[in-house]
Amino acid sequence: MSSPEPIPPPNDRRSSRASSAGMDTADGILPVGGPPNDPSPLQIRASNSLNSKNRRSTIAKQPPDLHLLEYVSQPDSNLVCLICHSPFDRPVQLFCGHFFCRECLDHAWCAQQEGRKTCPTCRSRVDPEKDVRPVPKIIETMLDELVVKCPNAKSGCGWVEQRVNVNDHVMLYCEYTLVECAQHDCRLHISQKEFHKGCLHYTVSCEDCHTSMMKKDLEDHQRTACANRSTNCLHCDASLLRLDLKTHIKDACGKVITPCQGTIVGCTFTAERAQTNLHEKSCPMATMAPHFRDQQARIERNEARLEPLTRKVGILEDGLSSITNMLYPANDSASTFPVTNPWIPTSPTPSPSNLVPTPTSASRPPRSHPYPKTHRSPFTNPSHPFDSQVHHLLTLHESLRDEVNRIANALTDLEGRTNMMVMNESQRTKDDMLHTNAAINGMRHQLHWLISATLQQRNSTRTAANAASGSTSGARQGGSAARQGPSAGFHAPLRRLSDSTRQDTKL
Amino acid sequence: MSAGAKKRIMKEYGECMAETPAGMKINFDEQNMTKWEVLMDGPDGSVYAGGHFKLEIIFPNEYPFKPPVVSFRTKIYHPNVSNDDKGSMCLGLLRPDEWKPPNKVVAVLRLIQSLMVEPNIDDAIEPSIANEYKENRKEFEKNAKDWVKRYAK
Ligand SMILES: [Zn+2]
Ligand SMILES: [Zn+2]
Ligand SMILES: [Zn+2]
Ligand SMILES: [Zn+2]
Ligand SMILES: [Zn+2]
Ligand SMILES: [Zn+2]
Ligand SMILES: [Zn+2]
Repeated sequence: MSSPEPIPPPNDRRSSRASSAGMDTADGILPVGGPPNDPSPLQIRASNSLNSKNRRSTIAKQPPDLHLLEYVSQPDSNLVCLICHSPFDRPVQLFCGHFFCRECLDHAWCAQQEGRKTCPTCRSRVDPEKDVRPVPKIIETMLDELVVKCPNAKSGCGWVEQRVNVNDHVMLYCEYTLVECAQHDCRLHISQKEFHKGCLHYTVSCEDCHTSMMKKDLEDHQRTACANRSTNCLHCDASLLRLDLKTHIKDACGKVITPCQGTIVGCTFTAERAQTNLHEKSCPMATMAPHFRDQQARIERNEARLEPLTRKVGILEDGLSSITNMLYPANDSASTFPVTNPWIPTSPTPSPSNLVPTPTSASRPPRSHPYPKTHRSPFTNPSHPFDSQVHHLLTLHESLRDEVNRIANALTDLEGRTNMMVMNESQRTKDDMLHTNAAINGMRHQLHWLISATLQQRNSTRTAANAASGSTSGARQGGSAARQGPSAGFHAPLRRLSDSTRQDTKL
Repeated sequence: MSAGAKKRIMKEYGECMAETPAGMKINFDEQNMTKWEVLMDGPDGSVYAGGHFKLEIIFPNEYPFKPPVVSFRTKIYHPNVSNDDKGSMCLGLLRPDEWKPPNKVVAVLRLIQSLMVEPNIDDAIEPSIANEYKENRKEFEKNAKDWVKRYAK
């Protein structure tokens, strides 16, 4: 099969029958496919990939206006539109050789009087239909390669890249692009970065200075604007932002009481962080702790990874047993296949008896069946499974190869016989045609002779009439007729001469 | 006014700062960027030497498709500047039918400066002053210097 589809689970009765009925058609592909709610390994992989996490937020902003972009370096003055003084945006060329942004040109023409369009630079008349042409490709490439800053740079985006990518960046990737708020009835906009936090468009009051503002602006306010934003740590007296107080106490403050890192391995030391840090330098358990944590994390990761693998193995084993069932119908057991337990690959299943059909099975002697009883016995007896699934598959492969070889031989044989038959038949037809040709030839000769005879007869009648008018001697008439005879026979084939003579005598 | 036009005015301001004609200073207010205030010294060697003139350049909403409007806020005795409160100027590339979008403010500033050195008599807005300039140069120069003393010190 061409696609890397998973091996089909065995519990799809319909498909296995379809394959048995349609081996001579392309339906051999049919058995693929399992129960709809059984995810294939491909699906599992797909659901873990990043691509499936579609952006649900809708862009509220228009695509970036190239005229308003900030360029990292001064662009070449030849690439700058004389109207907007920015590098061209979708430039066009007038026949007089002047270049403008499409939009700038349209604006310029809007401002001009109706019906009379001129080049804004040289004032030559322009026919908007004919004289506006695209610019050379190299100009567009140079424009595409200009390096610009993200239009959201003021909000904090540090993206700097070629201009050709700016649209994609703003519309798809920029964290600072404004999007419509997640809340359905909220009409306000929020940056992509904070979209997942839900609607932040409600008024809050800063705890420290009691100013009201929108929730989305709170952090910024507390970091940069709040009059009351700095404070001192209760423990160590360091001065810091209120916003950072919690993380300071949790991770950095030297005076907070913390246990030794080695607690997870059994160290009981607890003191202020500064002392704990000192202690940890000498504590063997603390030095070991990171490794233990690493190990712990690794174990958790592996366990998480194991789960999908187990599923995958189940699916594969399902598939294997379904192949098995297709090849060796175990019709001695009436129990249905255990759908809920695919880990027993050799469970017997009632299936249509002729699961290995061949197009010519009716005409084939039974001894040629490729699967003798000995092969089948392991399947009918679940207590003696194969040594290994691999061995089993190899055996299957061997017997399939034999079968294919046998079919190939039979085909060659058949071809030879057919060829011989065709040759015999055509030989006979050829002979028949030769006979027919000869007969036709004979008939043609006969016809020819008949015509000659008729002509001769007519001639002799005329001669007879002449003779009758000249003389009355019956003997002369007979003699003349006798004289005519040989002359008529001269045209007719020689062997017909006797006939003509006989004809003559009849006259 | 469109964002593009504002951007252009910003850029032109940058250009003017980079190459301001001698004796000129531009006051630019980012809140109201369509109105520039220009302080200009009377060019050396002209009758206006020693005077300090205040000009106003106002960019119309249709800029750069319509010309900027230039007016002298300081009174000046000049054939090309209207002799009233407005002190308006309307000649050369400042005429709406002469203006082209690719023209720049720097060119306008240069034009004003050259007109102060040499007025354009054929395109005068004040015919009497133009006449005086043509027929009685002495009188014109005296009047002009008078006005400089009176208004532009
Ligand atoms: Zn343009
Ligand atoms: Zn042109
Ligand atoms: Zn960005
Ligand atoms: Zn909202
Ligand atoms: Zn505050
Ligand atoms: Zn502290
Ligand atoms: Zn310890």
